Amino acid sequence: MGDKPIWEQIGSSFVQHYYQLFDTDRTHLGAIYIDASCLTWEGQQFQGKAAIVEKLSSLPFQKIQHSITAQDHQPTPDSCILSMVVGQLKADDDQVLGFHQTFLLKNFQGAWVCTNEIFRLALHNV
Amino acid sequence: MSDGDYDYLIKFLALGDSGVGKTSLLYQYTDGKFNSKFITTVGIDFREKRVVYRANGPDGISGRGQRIHLQLWDTAGQERFRSLTTAFFRDAMGFLLLFDLTNEQSFLNVRNWLSQLQTHAYCENPDIVLCGNKSDLEDQRTVKEEEAKELAEKYGIPYFETSAANGANVSKAVETLLDLIMKRMERNLGKDKYQQNFIRASALH
Repeated sequence: MGDKPIWEQIGSSFVQHYYQLFDTDRTHLGAIYIDASCLTWEGQQFQGKAAIVEKLSSLPFQKIQHSITAQDHQPTPDSCILSMVVGQLKADDDQVLGFHQTFLLKNFQGAWVCTNEIFRLALHNV
Repeated sequence: MSDGDYDYLIKFLALGDSGVGKTSLLYQYTDGKFNSKFITTVGIDFREKRVVYRANGPDGISGRGQRIHLQLWDTAGQERFRSLTTAFFRDAMGFLLLFDLTNEQSFLNVRNWLSQLQTHAYCENPDIVLCGNKSDLEDQRTVKEEEAKELAEKYGIPYFETSAANGANVSKAVETLLDLIMKRMERNLGKDKYQQNFIRASALH
């Protein structure tokens, strides 16, 4: 961990925290967003902590499990962190589906928050 | 399984709320003996089965059997994350619309699924069979048979109470849908012939 660049450390800690919250109680995800945060979920746009948490909380499944296959992190010129995750998920008893998720993290009042997030299932039948 | 030795390739799509038993019903129909492919990259599950269809002619004598290669497509749960797009419905000729007899909401959503079908399917009145699934859980039933029948009649579609668990009515539902498709094709074939004759006749003038 020590010799990893700082953005890798912050990015991977965020990713771990995010999916752990998502898989246990996604109604508690509010803490990682701010009112300027944007979420694009399967092409649908949501802005603001409340709208984002509402969307994520209302997804129609009881339990979900994410499994991260790979994650990449980069520092941006304005001191943010860009993260991309490729993984698989299983909602209730459905089959496993692939997904891609991208995050932009920003240090806001001493804490790292997610200002931008994009989610897509890895489906190619569109 | 995928050799070309058949008369018709027919694609059915199973629709309905998450958890109503679409995957289990298709599995029950193909009995797990046939190829069950899960294409992770496209997020669609499909199963295949060969059947022989015999149409009863007007004289009641059945003709030569048509060899049908049935493809049964499943949504693999993607409707939990996004609405199904027109592309998803593409090429599907018939639809098995399922709800859960023990889940009132899944029954109420049948109307939404029907309107989605009207928007996205290849035509405005595609062939549909409605299945009230989980009929084996009689003690947990919340949807009455009469309610479901009434809805099906209103939309002019056949209704069956199925059980993916014990197989009740599963084959019957799929075969009824196949019958509707084959009759539709015969009608359309007849129309084409009529049109061809008409065109031929007008060319003679």
